[in-house]
Amino acid sequence: MNRIGAIAWNTFREAVRNKILYSLLFFAVLIILSALAIGSLTLHEEIRTIRDVGLFGIDIFGVIIAIFVGVNLLYKELDLKTVYTILPKPLWRWEFVLGKWLGMLLTLAVQMAVMGLVLGIILALEGASFDAPMGKAVWLLFINVTLVTSIAVFFSSFSSPFLSGFFALGCFVVGRSVPDIRALGEKMSPSGKSALNFICSLIPNLHLFYPSGAIVGAEEVSVHRQFVGADYIVSATAYGVTYSVVVLILAMLIFRKRDFV
Amino acid sequence: MTDIVLRADGLAKTFHLGFFRKRVEAVKEATFDVRRGEVFGYLGPNGSGKTTTLKMLMGLVFPSRGRAEVLGRSVPNREAKRRLGYLPESPYFYEYLSPEEFLDLVGSLFDVPRRERRLRADRLIGRVGLDHARGRPLRKFSKGMLQRIGIAQALMGDPELVVLDEPMTGLDPIGRKEIRDLMLELRREGRTVLYSTHILPDVEMTCDRVAMIFAGRIRNVGPLSELLTARLLSTEVCLRHNVGRIPPLPDGAQLRQTPDGMMVDLPEGSDVDAFLKAALASSANIISVTPRRESLEDLFVREAASDGSNRGAA
Repeated sequence: MNRIGAIAWNTFREAVRNKILYSLLFFAVLIILSALAIGSLTLHEEIRTIRDVGLFGIDIFGVIIAIFVGVNLLYKELDLKTVYTILPKPLWRWEFVLGKWLGMLLTLAVQMAVMGLVLGIILALEGASFDAPMGKAVWLLFINVTLVTSIAVFFSSFSSPFLSGFFALGCFVVGRSVPDIRALGEKMSPSGKSALNFICSLIPNLHLFYPSGAIVGAEEVSVHRQFVGADYIVSATAYGVTYSVVVLILAMLIFRKRDFV
Repeated sequence: MTDIVLRADGLAKTFHLGFFRKRVEAVKEATFDVRRGEVFGYLGPNGSGKTTTLKMLMGLVFPSRGRAEVLGRSVPNREAKRRLGYLPESPYFYEYLSPEEFLDLVGSLFDVPRRERRLRADRLIGRVGLDHARGRPLRKFSKGMLQRIGIAQALMGDPELVVLDEPMTGLDPIGRKEIRDLMLELRREGRTVLYSTHILPDVEMTCDRVAMIFAGRIRNVGPLSELLTARLLSTEVCLRHNVGRIPPLPDGAQLRQTPDGMMVDLPEGSDVDAFLKAALASSANIISVTPRRESLEDLFVREAASDGSNRGAA
């Protein structure tokens, strides 16, 4: 555990000393701050706008950072040849991949906490609070980036950062559109519908992590009114973590067999 | 029985490169062993398969054939890695770390307790002469300084076996001497050192035994004294010619002018005594008489030439 922790801490330290991530965080905070200006243009909907724009900023920049860092996580170690120094140490290859992934999650957790804090301060300035639905929404977005990171790491275990980024972004876009793809299947023949449902079961259903405005059960849920309950949070978290672990295990298996030439 | 700490048994590696999966045999056959407490040199021209062999021994590359054992265990094995230190060729490290932070990370991978990590890092930084750069990030290190911190990280786990891939590359003469001294010091401490190189004078000064690899195939393994033939190749006679005529040269002898006089190279089998008498009779001063036996460089060039891969000799 000490070895995995050392790799994770080093990954986090690398991110903290990376100026590009600060730039991304700066833009994320800028988007969240822009919610103030956009909110002031609306009529009595300032708080609603700040919440929506703020969550959008956290979501989109969380995913951008997850893909950007995730695809480089293993590739950079190979490209800079630091892996030649680290892997001959008494460390299993899977421990190395797990350590890198955990370090990445720690980085994302801190980044999302900063973005959430900025959003909370803005809401407080407007006389509103960062309430339980907002907390649940940010938690779901964190599970979302956890899954996206795992997918990015999986692709980066065998392809270049460009291709990995392309594939991971594709998975994100398609994953968010799973309900729409299923709806499309309703208009198809039974065999076409079955095939589409099978494909949808393989694609990560990222829509689960951005449920505001969707129908859950029989009711529409929203961070502004009635949001999802604890049971939904638990099942969505379990789905996200399980999917992440499976994808990460695949990445470990590929990494285990690689020659480091 | 001699204690073997590393054994390569018929190791081979074939890569399949590019779209058409072109076969490249990086190592065709590598069989040698390294004995406890010795400095072992792994020699070969550039591209002969030295680094690939070491990567197979370190578990970075999987062999296509053959088997490798390090410290009594099949590669890769974590217990063996605990007792092993490795410096890769042209090492790259986390450039955002300071030497102390980097050694602390390496110590963590060896499960060294925090307090002990600090003590070891402190001692090793001093030992490799980087006291002045403790707080500096590695990105600001010169090549020589990186090589030093690379050696420090290889020693962080207090290893029995130290494997260094081209440790002298890119170092100035002082740096090379320091690394040579360090290797001899490691041997005095009872550690075993295996290093790859193509810098032959360093090998003659440090190695107990060597293995030579040419075009992916091991050609010679053993102590230098056994590998180099004891027979006399030629005799060099250095003369300061004062007056009189040049003494008659035996068949096959070569003469060349030097600033002090001349140098006569007498081939194997020449009557050296007769030539010296003739030289004295012709009023020449004899400055030196040097018998020339086979050097490591001669052997290296001979083997490379016979293999048809003499491009990287020495």
